[in-house]
Amino acid sequence: MILIEADKLRFQYENPDEPPKTVLRDVDLTIERGEFVALLGHNGCGKSTLAKHFNALLLPTGGTLLVEEMNTADEELSIDIRRKVGLVLQNPDNQLVSTVVEEDVAFGPENLGIEPAEIRRRVDDALKMVDMYDYRTHAPHKLSGGQKQRIAIAGVLAMKPDCIVLDEPTAMLDPKGRREVLETVRRLNRENGMTVVMITHYMEEAAAADRVVVMNEGRVWMDGTPREIFSQVEALKDVELDVPQPTELCAELRALGWDLPADVLTAEECVDAIASYLEDRA
Amino acid sequence: MLNDITMGQYFPGNSLLHRLDPRVKLLVTFVYIIAVFIPQNWTGLAVAVAFLLLCVALSKLPVRLITKTFKPIIPLILLTSILNVFYLDSGNVWWDAGFFKLTDHGVYTAIFIAIRILCLIAGSSLLTYTTTPTALTDGLERLLNPLRALHVPVHELAMMMTIALRFIPTLIEETDKIMAAQKARGADMESGGMMQRIRAFLPVLIPLFVSSFRRAYDLATAMECRCYRGGEGRTRMNRLQMHGRDVATLLFTAVFVAALIVLNIVLPSTL
Repeated sequence: MILIEADKLRFQYENPDEPPKTVLRDVDLTIERGEFVALLGHNGCGKSTLAKHFNALLLPTGGTLLVEEMNTADEELSIDIRRKVGLVLQNPDNQLVSTVVEEDVAFGPENLGIEPAEIRRRVDDALKMVDMYDYRTHAPHKLSGGQKQRIAIAGVLAMKPDCIVLDEPTAMLDPKGRREVLETVRRLNRENGMTVVMITHYMEEAAAADRVVVMNEGRVWMDGTPREIFSQVEALKDVELDVPQPTELCAELRALGWDLPADVLTAEECVDAIASYLEDRA
Repeated sequence: MLNDITMGQYFPGNSLLHRLDPRVKLLVTFVYIIAVFIPQNWTGLAVAVAFLLLCVALSKLPVRLITKTFKPIIPLILLTSILNVFYLDSGNVWWDAGFFKLTDHGVYTAIFIAIRILCLIAGSSLLTYTTTPTALTDGLERLLNPLRALHVPVHELAMMMTIALRFIPTLIEETDKIMAAQKARGADMESGGMMQRIRAFLPVLIPLFVSSFRRAYDLATAMECRCYRGGEGRTRMNRLQMHGRDVATLLFTAVFVAALIVLNIVLPSTL
């Protein structure tokens, strides 16, 4: 079932002093319910702009974007679209509103005018889903980056969205925080069936997704499973992207004439592939 | 260095005063600030002081926390006392230096007013000591809610206060970071005269300002993502509820104010 559907989506920034700057050019993309999509692309390729279209923060200047059959261009539907598609931003410090964790998580449902008893239930559920329930009365500024970002995710979950879009949620975190956030997102997708669109710069994170979409110069450049995408090492290098380190290692060994598969993603697969190649050779 | 600033001056506890509804505490403090000016005789003033001492006792906070708040206002008290002693020359003269008469009336008035000021300060600090900033903003929003009929943006003001409180620690942390960065590049912020120090602080303030705007922009986006549309149609998770103790406190305060008025009528004025 289709959740988000972009059809020839165009977007350009209009600035009276400068010529208009086109950021998205005819983007055609569909996101299915329950998918975990990683959105890749180097800086300025339009991936953040696209994410802001998914919850009607930006409106297309051409083409259409449908979220559960609601057209984002209809401003009357903006609130309905935003409660279906929750957007989590990069800097956790700048998206928390309140000085108490649970009150921050309650902010979304409070804005939707939900009954207090139901808000309490949703806040507790959301905090449990991101594994931060024990911190509900803490002050956000005393938490770690990963914990703050999980609170931000809980804040979006409390609106009961069908899809969460994360715009480089791990970019400002240390490795531990990154792992926490990634695990949380993956669990939400697997166990709660949440549709996830995650923009990331880390190829290892993208490798954990069901599907990878690569953007370049405002267009969808490649679209496929992580294996299909990352096996095309050269094509990715053309658009200034890396591949996961195990994939890269295998690619370089292949260039030296080793007979290794092209679609290696994880360290374990890489070890197995090299081991069996060496065995065969011996 | 900047971490020394105690946030909102709240001291956690579970006393009766801590548990009272913030609206009641705000109201009682407001009434008390006015009530302190009712007594015109020593008995009335003693009742006002007794009310305050009762509150301090109920708060279970160490008394030195309260006396600490007196320190910054000592100059003010001295100034008003001197003015009173100088300008009031009615009553029995104790000492006459021609241009200046020390009278019992002047001295008593000075003491009277000093006690009033101390009561004001202690009363209002007791409010912030026993109420979290969040509860305070919450109480204020609900207490001022009727003013919305007069187009006072009550919700917006409360939201601004909440956000300001939320960002104080974040900005303090950032200031520390920028200062460290500037010091690492040789900035000298601890020596020289006042002007020189102010000038040395500019390279800290400008990046702080720029980043505050970026943060504000991000926060606005995040709030929009979470369907924020202002106060219209908004509900709250935590509802404030009046308990027996709140009603009792309000009644007790009413009796206290009535007592002050009665004492004024029955007893002669000392001022």
